[in-house]
Amino acid sequence: MKNVFKTKLSTASLVLIPACIGINYLGKLFASVLKLPLWLDSIGTCIGGALGGPVIGGICGAANNLIYGFTTGDSITLVYALTSLGIGIAVGIMARLGRMEKLGGALLTAVVAGLVAVCISTPLNVLFWGGTTGNVWGDALFAATQAGGMPVALGSLLDEVVVDVPDKIITILVVFAILKGLPKKLTALYDVNDSIESLD
Amino acid sequence: MSYISVEHLKYRYPNTERLALNDLNFEIEKGEFIGIAGENGSGRSTLCQAFIGLVPGFFKGAYGGRVLIDGTEAGKTPVSRMCRKVGLVFQNPFNQLSGAKETVFEEIAFGLQNFGVPREEMTERVNEVLGLLDIEACRDQNPFDLSGGQMQRVALAGILAMKPDVIVLDEPTSQLDPAGSEEVFAAVDRMTEAGITIIMVEQKLEKLAEYCDRILLLHEGRQIAFDTPERIFSRPDLEDYGVKPPICTRLCRALGVKRADGCYPASHEEVRKLKTQFPEESLFQKKCVPDGKTKGQEACGGEVFQIGHLNFRYQEGTPVLRDVTLSLDSRSTAIVGQNGAGKTTLVKLLKGLLKPVGGSIWYGGEDMAGKTVAMLAGEVGYVFQNPDDQIFKYHVLDEVMFGPLNIGMKKEEAERHAREALKEVGLENLAAENPYDLELSERKLVAIASVLAMDTRVLILDEPTIAQDWKGRQIIGGIIQRLEKQGRTVVAILHDMDFVSEYFRRVIVMARGQVLADGTREAVFSRKEVLEKARIEEPSLMKLCKMLGYEKAYFQLKEGEEV
Amino acid sequence: MKSMSLYVDLDTWLTRMHPFTKLCYIATAIAASLIGGKLWVFGVFIGISLGMLVSGKIIKKVFPLIAFSFTILITIFLIHGLFNHENVTLLFAAGPLRFYREGMLYALRISCNVLNMLLAFAVFVLTTRPAELVEDLEQIGFSPKIGYVISSVFQIVPQMSGTMNTILDAQRSRGMETEGSLLTRAKSFLPLISPVVMSSLTNTRERAIALEIRGFEAGEKKTYLRDSSMKTVDRALCVCMVVLLAAAVAVRVML
Ligand SMILES: Nc1ncnc2c1ncn2[C@@H]1O[C@H](COP(=O)(O)OP(=O)(O)OP(=O)(O)O)[C@@H](O)[C@H]1O
Ligand SMILES: Nc1ncnc2c1ncn2[C@@H]1O[C@H](COP(=O)(O)OP(=O)(O)OP(=O)(O)O)[C@@H](O)[C@H]1O
Ligand SMILES: [Mg+2]
Ligand SMILES: [Mg+2]
Repeated sequence: MKNVFKTKLSTASLVLIPACIGINYLGKLFASVLKLPLWLDSIGTCIGGALGGPVIGGICGAANNLIYGFTTGDSITLVYALTSLGIGIAVGIMARLGRMEKLGGALLTAVVAGLVAVCISTPLNVLFWGGTTGNVWGDALFAATQAGGMPVALGSLLDEVVVDVPDKIITILVVFAILKGLPKKLTALYDVNDSIESLD
Repeated sequence: MSYISVEHLKYRYPNTERLALNDLNFEIEKGEFIGIAGENGSGRSTLCQAFIGLVPGFFKGAYGGRVLIDGTEAGKTPVSRMCRKVGLVFQNPFNQLSGAKETVFEEIAFGLQNFGVPREEMTERVNEVLGLLDIEACRDQNPFDLSGGQMQRVALAGILAMKPDVIVLDEPTSQLDPAGSEEVFAAVDRMTEAGITIIMVEQKLEKLAEYCDRILLLHEGRQIAFDTPERIFSRPDLEDYGVKPPICTRLCRALGVKRADGCYPASHEEVRKLKTQFPEESLFQKKCVPDGKTKGQEACGGEVFQIGHLNFRYQEGTPVLRDVTLSLDSRSTAIVGQNGAGKTTLVKLLKGLLKPVGGSIWYGGEDMAGKTVAMLAGEVGYVFQNPDDQIFKYHVLDEVMFGPLNIGMKKEEAERHAREALKEVGLENLAAENPYDLELSERKLVAIASVLAMDTRVLILDEPTIAQDWKGRQIIGGIIQRLEKQGRTVVAILHDMDFVSEYFRRVIVMARGQVLADGTREAVFSRKEVLEKARIEEPSLMKLCKMLGYEKAYFQLKEGEEV
Repeated sequence: MKSMSLYVDLDTWLTRMHPFTKLCYIATAIAASLIGGKLWVFGVFIGISLGMLVSGKIIKKVFPLIAFSFTILITIFLIHGLFNHENVTLLFAAGPLRFYREGMLYALRISCNVLNMLLAFAVFVLTTRPAELVEDLEQIGFSPKIGYVISSVFQIVPQMSGTMNTILDAQRSRGMETEGSLLTRAKSFLPLISPVVMSSLTNTRERAIALEIRGFEAGEKKTYLRDSSMKTVDRALCVCMVVLLAAAVAVRVML
């Protein structure tokens, strides 16, 4: 339990961050090219969390949005840095608790990550977008709730839930498959409990 | 006390059983030039990493004994401190870039920035190594857009600019053209005069013999010997350790020419000293494999590729191939030439991966412009220069089966082909491994097997001998001979002229995007001006025989029996 | 290799301006208009940003950036114009759709805020070379590690698309059809993602070693190839903006 937040801030963890951000970008590109009703922009963050723990996961998430926000002029992304931070931390914690080893645990992780995302994003949506998310499917639902006279916050919450939870489930399944295929030489680098054995 | 001393060094990687280094003991003096020889997997790279403390600091695992460098214990000092004293150049240059710099110049300066070298000195030092390694022309290029050899030069330059006291080089010249690797050897040799200690792993034993003071011979992690090149290469049991002595030694052994101390000479210099002991040319000829096999000056077996006035460039304004006209037939063909000449570019065009900017390529009588790469996949096989570019499955067997399945083979047939190909490259027991877990030399063989399994009519190999020891070369040579016998066409890009002269009938020399010469090895290697322009050398045996005053060109020794 | 950043390599007064001054402008533009709270304040800053973009000769590059968020803005107008809870006064009706004044005003505020942010960022992003920004940040004391992560992201994305191309090459050279109709291309996209991810992850191992041996953790004070202290004009501008912000706060608090 006390290992959950233990982090090696080594060069190996550091180089993991840009790689994960790159992967996020790729996923996002993929979703937008194929016009999928998903974000898929947190695959890298989840990998970062699963390999490097909650701290690295959180940094991956936050850095992702900050860097893209500041450099591609996409200031909208910037706002959601908090959400990404939360997702990274959540997945990191779940992975350290050993939930990413089996498929069942991975699904649980996905739900947790999805809910975290919902809880953080909803206030941001309301604040900056008056409740919409920019996702066609979710926004249709939001429009319906507004037409039905529900409060903005509740509508926006529903809007997020229908977008984020499925998105995180797909994301985590992809991450799960990738982690299973990683070579041992690489995973050995991120093992927190290793120490140098003496042969003398 | 010596400058560097290694005492009972033992090391085991995490999640493995076998010791990668097993009880090494030796000492190195300041300013020595030390070579490390051994077969693939003998622990040479691991030892290199132990000098700078990456083993065990970075890799963890199990460690015993110690490595003392100028009083500092490498195993207990963080890499960030060790790297001031020790510079390491990796085996695979594609992975040695910092990945954060946009130009070659900034990339080389990266290490200096970290050390806080003042600005003027930094610029000066970077300019100096740019000149030393002949990459001034690339200084503003993006480091990821370079050719294999240029990238290796940048990796080397990045370390040399840091001016460490000890420089550890892990196969630093594997992708350099012959003149380039000679320059690198000469340059680091000059550094030893300034008191810099050089430790170098190399497959080019000729060069090690010429420049090294002593050679460490490793086998399965154990230290077999640490001695002068002559003594090491004269060992009768050398081949048991997977090391083939350099051609000088082999020639002298075949002719029974020995030094006073009973060793065979290992370098050209030594051979020159013993010149009088060598027999007449008529006697010597009996020691050579007759030249009959290479009579094929004439084209044979019909044309495969017909290239006409081919032009290509990656970026506007910098032509890479200029008006190349060639025809390739079923003779096995080697393409040689300086780094950045456009060799890889040419074969990628042949494979259809790049589209010509001007001119045409015809394959088997049809214009390639109208075909997709996948349509030709069953006909032309291509093995990439960097095996990592080519590997994308999680199991070796799946990787090798990918091609056969795609060109329409049934599952069972594909698996049979795949297993046969793996067997031919000697990796049949790695079929279930993750290719990313294999070593560079094994990955290169997997890449070759994955193309072999498709049983194509043409096989293009881009620098197949990278990282291969003698055994690996023999395997690749065997494959080339087999394919040629079966009437297939093998086209290979190579920097190893000895390998070229042993296995290839036709040699094409390229420089600066043009073909300089094209013909049999005798014809090509006798043209001095071409060799110089393309920055290649004659094969070692040919050079030796010339020095000994023999008139004909010889390419292969008959070995086994003593005179 | 193409760079990922939107930087336009021109030599104008905007590109020569110190990155920090531009950052300062972003902060002022966003904060002052939020604090001011009035629609005209947004208008003023949007105007200033547009003016800078025009004089920096990069106004054309801004449109794609805005176009991207346009769809979202339209949704906001639709949803709030139609359904906002405060809606009372009918503004206009288009067929069965009845748009209300309150909702439209609400949507307008949101849009102004977004547009203001986008333009202010565009001024910065289109005229600043990321490598330069990173160096400047490091020189005022940011950790080089953060700097590395930032500049590495800029290299890694084009690198990954490079890897994607090489893997695509590897796959098609072994017989997988990747050229042709949209469907073929889409189908070839899927088996591509996982190897690209895998290879960029495995590369991190060697990348880490490469950094270590180049003294990345040496802990020395780094030196730089370029000198990047702020010019007097830059300093003056920054001071002006800070004063402006303070004034905005003061006005808001007092009124
Ligand atoms: N990171 C690692 N994890 C586990 N085992 C490893 C690792 N790196 C190398 N090995 C193993 O250690 C042994 C020695 O490898 P090393 O790379 O030092 O050999 P080498 O002589 O340099 O060979 P090569 O010619 O392939 O470079 C090999 O059996 C190899 O499989
Ligand atoms: N993707 C690219 N973008 C721009 N220029 C490139 C690219 N790839 C190669 N070049 C340039 O094209 C030239 C030819 O490169 P190529 O890879 O064909 O050389 P090569 O003959 O194979 O060299 P080597 O022996 O070093 O592998 C080089 O000058 C290189 O810098
Ligand atoms: Mg090695
Ligand atoms: Mg090449």
